[in-house]
Amino acid sequence: MTSRESHRIKDAEKKRVLDEAARRRRARKAVEALEQDNFHDDPHADLVMSKKVPKFQDSSEGPTRAKKAKKKNNEFIRAKYRKNLGQLLEEAKMLTEEPNYFSAQAPAPTEPERHFCAVCGNFSNYTCTSCGTRFCCLRCLKTHQDTRCLKWTA
Amino acid sequence: MVNSKTCIIDNGAYTAKVGLSTDEAPRVIPNCVMKAKSERRRAFIGDQLKDLKDASGLFYLLPFQKGYLVNWDIQKTVWDHIFSPDSSGINLNDANVIITEPPFNFSTIQEGMMEIFFEEYEVESYIRLSASKLAAIHYANERENQVSSCIVIDMGYSFIHIIPFIKGKYIKKAIKRIEVGGKVLTNYFKEVISYRHLNMMDESYVANQIKEDVCFVSENLHEDMKNAQKKGKDRIFTEYILPDFSNVKRGYIRKPEDVITDQQTVKFTNECFTIPEIIFHPSDVGIKQMGVAPTLLESLKSCEEYTHPVLLSNIIVIGGCAKFKGMKERLFKEIRCLIPNDLPLNITIPEDPISYAWQGGKEFSNFPNYFEMTVTKAEYEESGVQAANKFELFE
Repeated sequence: MTSRESHRIKDAEKKRVLDEAARRRRARKAVEALEQDNFHDDPHADLVMSKKVPKFQDSSEGPTRAKKAKKKNNEFIRAKYRKNLGQLLEEAKMLTEEPNYFSAQAPAPTEPERHFCAVCGNFSNYTCTSCGTRFCCLRCLKTHQDTRCLKWTA
Repeated sequence: MVNSKTCIIDNGAYTAKVGLSTDEAPRVIPNCVMKAKSERRRAFIGDQLKDLKDASGLFYLLPFQKGYLVNWDIQKTVWDHIFSPDSSGINLNDANVIITEPPFNFSTIQEGMMEIFFEEYEVESYIRLSASKLAAIHYANERENQVSSCIVIDMGYSFIHIIPFIKGKYIKKAIKRIEVGGKVLTNYFKEVISYRHLNMMDESYVANQIKEDVCFVSENLHEDMKNAQKKGKDRIFTEYILPDFSNVKRGYIRKPEDVITDQQTVKFTNECFTIPEIIFHPSDVGIKQMGVAPTLLESLKSCEEYTHPVLLSNIIVIGGCAKFKGMKERLFKEIRCLIPNDLPLNITIPEDPISYAWQGGKEFSNFPNYFEMTVTKAEYEESGVQAANKFELFE
């Protein structure tokens, strides 16, 4: 008489469900990923550029190198303008006069969102109970659970 | 001064369109530095890309971020290359420069650009304006009837801008921006291919080419979605042959008669039209903004009501994303649904939406009052970056 409870209930308790905050975080990450320039790392990152190594290139190919000398005296110019987008936006926020960068943004949609199956791309009517991803049929749900669902938990 | 040459630079986030006012068409040069897996001794700047044989795993260094110039080092490298004898061969020394910038450009960027052109390239005169303004000029010129009232929809790499012009001047408060562009589409496409077919996360360059080749705008999404699921010959279905960079340099759509031996292929169905859907419904990928058509209406609200008929009958779409097949029909359908029946509606998508603004720049350089609007070297030496204040008079 040790365990008389149903296995179904036991399994249901084990199942992890992402809370609202985690789902929002995932959604935000997905949007940010769409802005990425590259997914992979710099393929030349592990190269060590040594000044002593002779360069076997004809000089016309290396305009960057030819400009090295000139680069030095305009370093100060660029230091002045070197600002990342965050800093620029922060500065722009100071100017309250409309219209500005922020007021030009398209407003939130008035129509309800459309949903597409994350697996096959069809219209989707169902939501995965643990992570909130959309799917359209049992087959797609199975694929989703096998490959993606909570696989990279943020 | 009047006799010296004029160089027009439509400095886009993905490609720069560069040429002299005497040229027929601009050179379209990738505005980035690229590194390849196969060639580890050098990086490829701008149009040097043509020397690269194996473009797999291409790594981009882009000067623009979210449509604004932030990586000056990269931009300077690309410009240095463009204006060297290896590329366009244009010598900016003592030339007049027309350069484009995005709407609501930040003043720091504006000052930086001006300084580089005067101090580094020693140009004779300089003017900056938005690409949409040049497009509006070209549009009016093409029609020869001085209709300089129009709406420019600029679908670029970083974002879509909707900008109404009335009598050649833009309505600043009516400018709207949707943060969806070619980059978002390519990145999303890449993700979808990688999950459903084969991993292409490292292959932005190839994914971008596939997008250009296979994607189209659906006129009726529900219908097309049904057709994509069908079996038989009605099925919307494209088989694409991927480049292997030895026999196939650039991928292409497989035609029924093509025999494939060992090339890798991918079969696309609903991907072909659900990717460009993002332009019409950014919320499909979680971007909480309106699509193009409702945003256009939003923009119209900020214009005087009597201007609506003339604006709506002169809509012009430029930028790389305007090249999707079916864009015009879909835009027409969506906007028509949202405006009263008695208002006219006319949408133009030029044959080459990418160099359209550049062509406007060419015409702009022939304006009788062109030199009144530019900042000359003398003016710059007199008052520095403050000299740019005069641009506001002509905006």
